[in-house]
Amino acid sequence: DDHQLSVEDLELKYQTNVTKVRGMNSTVAGEILLRDGPNELKPPKGTPEYVKFARQLAGGLQCLMWVAAAICLIAFGIQCGQGDLTSADNLYLAIALIAVVVVTGCFGYYQEFKSTNIIASFKNLVPQQATVIRDGDKFQINANQLVVGDLVEIKGGDRVPADIRIITAQGCKVDNSSLTGESEPQTRAPECTHESPLETRNIAFFSTMCLEGTATGIIVNTGDRTIIGRIASLASGVENEKTPIAIEIEHFVDIIAGLAIFFGGTFFIVAMVIGYPFLKAMVFFMAIVVAYVPEGLLATVTVCLSLTAKRLARKNCVVKNLEAVETLGSTSVICSDKTGTLTQNRMTVSHLWFDNQIHTADTTEDQSGQSFDQSSETWRALCKIVSLCNRAFFKSGQDNVPVPKRIVIGDASETALLKFSEITLGNVMEYRERYKKACEIPFNSTNKFQLSIHELEDPRDPRYLLVMKGAPERILERCATIMIKGQELPLDEQWKEAFQTAYMDLGGLGERVLGFCHLYLDPGQFPRGFAFDTEDMNFPTSGLCFAGLISMIDPPRATVPDAVMKCRTAGIRVIMVTGDHPITAKAIAASVGIISEGSETVEDIAARMRIPVEQVNKREARACVVNGGQLKDMETEELVEILKMHPEMVFARTSPQQKLIIVESCQKLGAIVAVTGDGVNDSPALKKADIGVAMGIAGSDAAKNAADMILLDDNFASIVTGVEQGRLIFDNLKKSIAYTLTKNIPELTPYLIYITVSVPLPLGCITILFIELCTDIFPSVSLAYEKAESDIMHLKPRNPRRDRLVNEALAVYSYFQIGAIQSFAGFTDYFTAMAQEGWFPLLCVGLRAQWENDHLQDLQDSYGQEWTFGQRLYQEYTCYTVFFISIEMCQISDVLIRKTRRLSVFQQGFFRNKILVIAIVFQLCLGCFLCYCPGMPNIFNFMPIRFQWWLVPLPYGILIFVYDEIRKLGVRRHPGSWWDKELYY
Amino acid sequence: NSLRQPKPSVWVEVLATVLTTTCPLCFAGLILLFYLILYMFLAGMFSFCIYGLLLTLSPYTPTYRDRVSPPGVMIRPYLHGFTIAFNVSEPSTWTPYVNSMHHFLQAYDDNIQEEKNIECPAGQYFVQDGAESKEKKACQFKRSQLQNCSGIEDPTFGYSTGQPCILLKMNRIIGYRPGYGTPVSVNCAIQKGNESALKSVDFYPGNGTFDLMYYPYYGKLTHVNYTSPLVALHFTDVKKNDFVPIQCRLNGEGIVNNVTNDRFLGRIIFTLSIGM
Repeated sequence: DDHQLSVEDLELKYQTNVTKVRGMNSTVAGEILLRDGPNELKPPKGTPEYVKFARQLAGGLQCLMWVAAAICLIAFGIQCGQGDLTSADNLYLAIALIAVVVVTGCFGYYQEFKSTNIIASFKNLVPQQATVIRDGDKFQINANQLVVGDLVEIKGGDRVPADIRIITAQGCKVDNSSLTGESEPQTRAPECTHESPLETRNIAFFSTMCLEGTATGIIVNTGDRTIIGRIASLASGVENEKTPIAIEIEHFVDIIAGLAIFFGGTFFIVAMVIGYPFLKAMVFFMAIVVAYVPEGLLATVTVCLSLTAKRLARKNCVVKNLEAVETLGSTSVICSDKTGTLTQNRMTVSHLWFDNQIHTADTTEDQSGQSFDQSSETWRALCKIVSLCNRAFFKSGQDNVPVPKRIVIGDASETALLKFSEITLGNVMEYRERYKKACEIPFNSTNKFQLSIHELEDPRDPRYLLVMKGAPERILERCATIMIKGQELPLDEQWKEAFQTAYMDLGGLGERVLGFCHLYLDPGQFPRGFAFDTEDMNFPTSGLCFAGLISMIDPPRATVPDAVMKCRTAGIRVIMVTGDHPITAKAIAASVGIISEGSETVEDIAARMRIPVEQVNKREARACVVNGGQLKDMETEELVEILKMHPEMVFARTSPQQKLIIVESCQKLGAIVAVTGDGVNDSPALKKADIGVAMGIAGSDAAKNAADMILLDDNFASIVTGVEQGRLIFDNLKKSIAYTLTKNIPELTPYLIYITVSVPLPLGCITILFIELCTDIFPSVSLAYEKAESDIMHLKPRNPRRDRLVNEALAVYSYFQIGAIQSFAGFTDYFTAMAQEGWFPLLCVGLRAQWENDHLQDLQDSYGQEWTFGQRLYQEYTCYTVFFISIEMCQISDVLIRKTRRLSVFQQGFFRNKILVIAIVFQLCLGCFLCYCPGMPNIFNFMPIRFQWWLVPLPYGILIFVYDEIRKLGVRRHPGSWWDKELYY
Repeated sequence: NSLRQPKPSVWVEVLATVLTTTCPLCFAGLILLFYLILYMFLAGMFSFCIYGLLLTLSPYTPTYRDRVSPPGVMIRPYLHGFTIAFNVSEPSTWTPYVNSMHHFLQAYDDNIQEEKNIECPAGQYFVQDGAESKEKKACQFKRSQLQNCSGIEDPTFGYSTGQPCILLKMNRIIGYRPGYGTPVSVNCAIQKGNESALKSVDFYPGNGTFDLMYYPYYGKLTHVNYTSPLVALHFTDVKKNDFVPIQCRLNGEGIVNNVTNDRFLGRIIFTLSIGM
């Protein structure tokens, strides 16, 4: 409420001295500094590093693996206690399991750490300086030393060091776009103009930029108590939504963990009933858990996501939170900020009206657009006025910089006009030199015009040229003639009508319109060297010749309309949420396609049909513009209703809280919401959104902190790339997971058969870990490189409740069909290896107890040969290895079929995904290495196996391939049939 | 889902609608039928593969014998471990060993051997050519050859006097010719510790060798009456009232007896504990 107090009250309240410009007493200031703390935003409370790391170790699957490791250790402990030191397998397994958890944890932690570092590098570490008056003297101190009550000075180019109540101001304008989203500079003056502190003119906000002019003021809020600080704390109060992929993976982990414990528990009980000792039954339980849990899955998912994140980074999207990659893919609503996101965040000349015609200027960022006809005399006159009646200038030393990128000293409209004339005319600075300025009246809010008087270029022409620009209606008042095609015509009613129409048209586009006029002064009355007096205005300021109108707007980025179009075809709704005025917002929304051509708002329909707004059937209006005032009076249900009714929405004049409410309402509709924004005002919404996308160049630190993704080039179109990549990664993760899950069945069945039929163990736990974490990782990651099967940007976003990552069909098909085939392949190879070494299949059944008796050193095989325990153990390792190889061979077939879910692999192409081919080759090499590297038998229980045992699973591999082709053929031929329903995942 | 073109052929649509909406049981039945066919096919394929595998196997000779050779060693008496502990003065502690020995040696009774097996020339392999499926003859190994350890004169195999006999047996491997022409012999020593704990061991038959005539073995299908040759170890002077770890090794060409991972390959370690 400080903006409503008088200066005297403020002095009292803050123990300062304004009237005598003495400022605060520095000792008092020191005390207040101690009381309030430094004037800076507290960084959001970070999670301690060890908690982050611990979180990586305590996921669902990890917990299951901890349990398995604990069981292993207990089993080992009991074995030790019984004095049985023959086998340390359980210890190895426990160590391996713990290593797996820790290594994947470290990997995840490293990923998180890396992205945190990217963010940290964005922060600007240069301390800000501020000019403060204390004890009557001016000081330059660090802005963080400022306290409430300090008298500070700001000038053009400074960042406002705290929330300041303005005491005096000269032409002070600030850029509030990061706070409110208004793209136009806001005047700051001592008068209180509004009861809301956000709207009133006599408060300048912390961290906004002062664009021009000077001001002094009293600091009324510092640090976290500033408006910005409050918004930032609002953002930190918003809970982070769980990402859809996290939900998917949790859902999946729940299923897996449930099934693993169910299977493990069942077999534990079965084993106890059959009569195994408790310890043995525990080990079975543990083995089943190890076999059933896809240990490598989390690593695969993380790697797939980080690969996509890398790919996106190359396209200028930095992903802070890996899971956000996929979120973008399932996004169904994008709430976009206007300024700086959809628009270029710089005023640009967009239209001109002269010769009774509206001309369109080139507003593209790189000046690649069409230019208008510049042959008219009127244009030349107008151009002269634009160039001369302008106080803005380029900062020196920028000759090599393209015009749109040059730094200009001056306000936004003058900058726009300067750049415009620089582009159309050439060197404006030199041009101004040629027309020497005799005198000038700068723009002020009472006159609402700006004029200057110049000598002419030609020294023989003694006339002076008076040029003027300003608010169009004020300019028109002062004109007597109008220039049409170089001819001065009297300004009659007809021309005034034409002017009004043009003014209304341009204003309706949400553009800021300026009028331009000039007058050649009579050389008799005003000879060279005439002393013009700007106070008395001893020169004519009426009866001028009207040259034209120029309108300016913060134009949309060139790539945005296309990107919005792509979002639409991809079934994504784009909603504009801005702090700017409704008219401007609507105009920009229409020009980028957020409001499509032909869509009307309720007001438009009312105007067209000439009926009151209340009589319009609201359902007929596709578009709707809601401003913050209306929003304030609305119930949440009402907002949801509006969001449902109108597909094309624009929210204008919204506050940060309202942005938050809009996002929440969209989420209530079941949408997955992406929010793009750059300002502090966007940060709560960015955080609330399922995925927040901040702008890298224009974005404030607060926005970047709250966001999950940062567009380095501030290009909205990058979001479309992100959506595409996100959708692709969802599809590919599905394939990857299907691939990873399949092998759990051939890993599990050996134990089931081992327990129930009592054959010698076909597959060991360590071998399973090798499949999960070593050989199969590469193919499953390589599926992330798979190309899309169809144009994914023409599909609707997935329904997060229906289209799950792991659905029933996927699990059933992987487990009970492909997994079953793989199991048969493994057992065929197992029985082959056993039989060829002398153990016939029927002998194997029920052999387990004798086979594992380590005192029995002369067990007879089918031929009557006698085996020692050690020989049997190596034979068992041989079985592990052949089973391993069988799974590998089938998995090669599996990865080939997983390339597509619908199309034939022949349509997709075998070798298009080079990474996948390399991964298969690498997998084979790893398999060979594990089998044939010396020393393996005693370390990892791999034996060098015979070549033909590699070939035994081949028929099953071919069966998998053929079977899946038949499945896909059926799915393609008979969509909607039971085949499709059961077998399409 | 919009991937799918909405033009299924009519009968599939009709069938699907009929099955899914009007008769959910039919639908479940259809799925069951599908899995039945799938698993029957898989089982058939598996059986076919195993059948094919069995066709390639010879019933007489294993395809590979690399895992089972070189031979392992086993001892008798074997009750439940490799510690033979008894007290001379308490017969109940050693009768189980003696019974085990008698039981094991039944097959080696002289009259049984004479009846079933033939006498072979000693000192050379008894190679029997001819068809693989032809029944093979086995050479006699008479219990009496074990002399003091035969249990004939001393039915307690020396257990009653604290001089126990232990029989050593080499694992059978089809076609294996131990020693490549020179008979494999056996020696015993203290595994670790005081050498004086084991003063003397007598070996029967011969000097503790496996005669070549008992090899090669032709498999249980054709070599029905084959009895493994034995070497009896007679521990005549072992330290009493102590655990004495003894390692007996086979010595001969091609015999491996020093692998750390398999303590029963070409050697055997057991503990004698004789209480007085």
